[in-house]
Amino acid sequence: MSIRDRWSADAHRYLDGTPHGDLDPEERREADLVLEAVEAWTEGLEPPTKALDDAVMARIRARAPRPADHGWRWLIRPQPIRMRPVWVPLAAAAALAFWLVAKPGPEPEQSIPVASASATADTVFVHFHLVAPDARVVALTGTFNGWAADAYQMAREDGGIWSITLPLPVGEYQYQFVINGERWIPDPRSQARVDDGFGGTNSVVVVGPRGVVQS
Amino acid sequence: MELSDGMVVQRVLDGEIELFRVLVERYRAKFGRHAVALVGDRDAAADAMQEAFIRAYDSLDRCREPDRFGSWFFRILTNQCHDTRSRLRPHADIAEVDPPSGDSPDDDADRRELGLMINAALDELTAEQREAFVLKHVDGRSYEEMADLTGVGVDALKMRVHRARDTLREKLGARL
Repeated sequence: MSIRDRWSADAHRYLDGTPHGDLDPEERREADLVLEAVEAWTEGLEPPTKALDDAVMARIRARAPRPADHGWRWLIRPQPIRMRPVWVPLAAAAALAFWLVAKPGPEPEQSIPVASASATADTVFVHFHLVAPDARVVALTGTFNGWAADAYQMAREDGGIWSITLPLPVGEYQYQFVINGERWIPDPRSQARVDDGFGGTNSVVVVGPRGVVQS
Repeated sequence: MELSDGMVVQRVLDGEIELFRVLVERYRAKFGRHAVALVGDRDAAADAMQEAFIRAYDSLDRCREPDRFGSWFFRILTNQCHDTRSRLRPHADIAEVDPPSGDSPDDDADRRELGLMINAALDELTAEQREAFVLKHVDGRSYEEMADLTGVGVDALKMRVHRARDTLREKLGARL
């Protein structure tokens, strides 16, 4: 060992892998030995395997629902509805009014699709809402418009609510919201979701002749 | 389309708990070796990492910057690893580790001895020094990357790494 108690500044630079001055050959030998020791130690470090992922997920599934899933939230989560067409406009207005009254304060990205009225015997107007106070622009995209990300721009209303109404023929549709032209999210409140094939999920809305029957 | 951390966090908070696996896979791969280095024992490190993920899940709604979930989780993980290491029985004293002979035909054995010496010497460091040393020499990060991950300034991190090296030099002593 050299007579030094500590590494020289040049040795620290050498150990950092940055340009260094004229390092004493003996100190350089010692530094190389330390680097070799660290490398040997690192080679022997085997990270946890994929079994860890399964163990974590098993514990999470066994836990009680997240606290956020309790309380008033269940009241505002969209539920399947069936109703006669004549009641649909009133129900839509009531749902939005309830939403605005019951909601304790702005919260990012919340939505609820609501059928409003039948345009024809097999077409229903469906309102989509998303609460996104911080968004600059929000669009609705889905199987009804070929997943065009900017075709259906939503209108901003008071309270940071973005909305759009579409006449949709009876059927089942998948959709997402596009925030600021780049962030795709499913409807945070939809219960019906399917794999989007890209590692994410799409929300699903089922439109029946008498309104939205599932969302 | 790879989901951003922020998007995954939001969906998990909205009830898609299975998506938490995305974060587990992502950061087990990214920080797994770091955890083993900090704890010094693979099985104990796996336990620490599992606890860290559970703690992160339980407090996910307090992750203020979901897009920086990795940095937030890193703090939880390192704290858990420090606690775990402190509860483990001490690693082999460096004096008990046979030094490499230098002229042994069994180079692998020599390298293993070198590794054991480092692991034992790490017990002599403070938690902060050990973390900084591992970030630098195991993870191979730049000081700027370390600062971004830990929230500690570059100068302070350099100081920790330097002190860690000086302590290792002192403890390795005649073995050098």
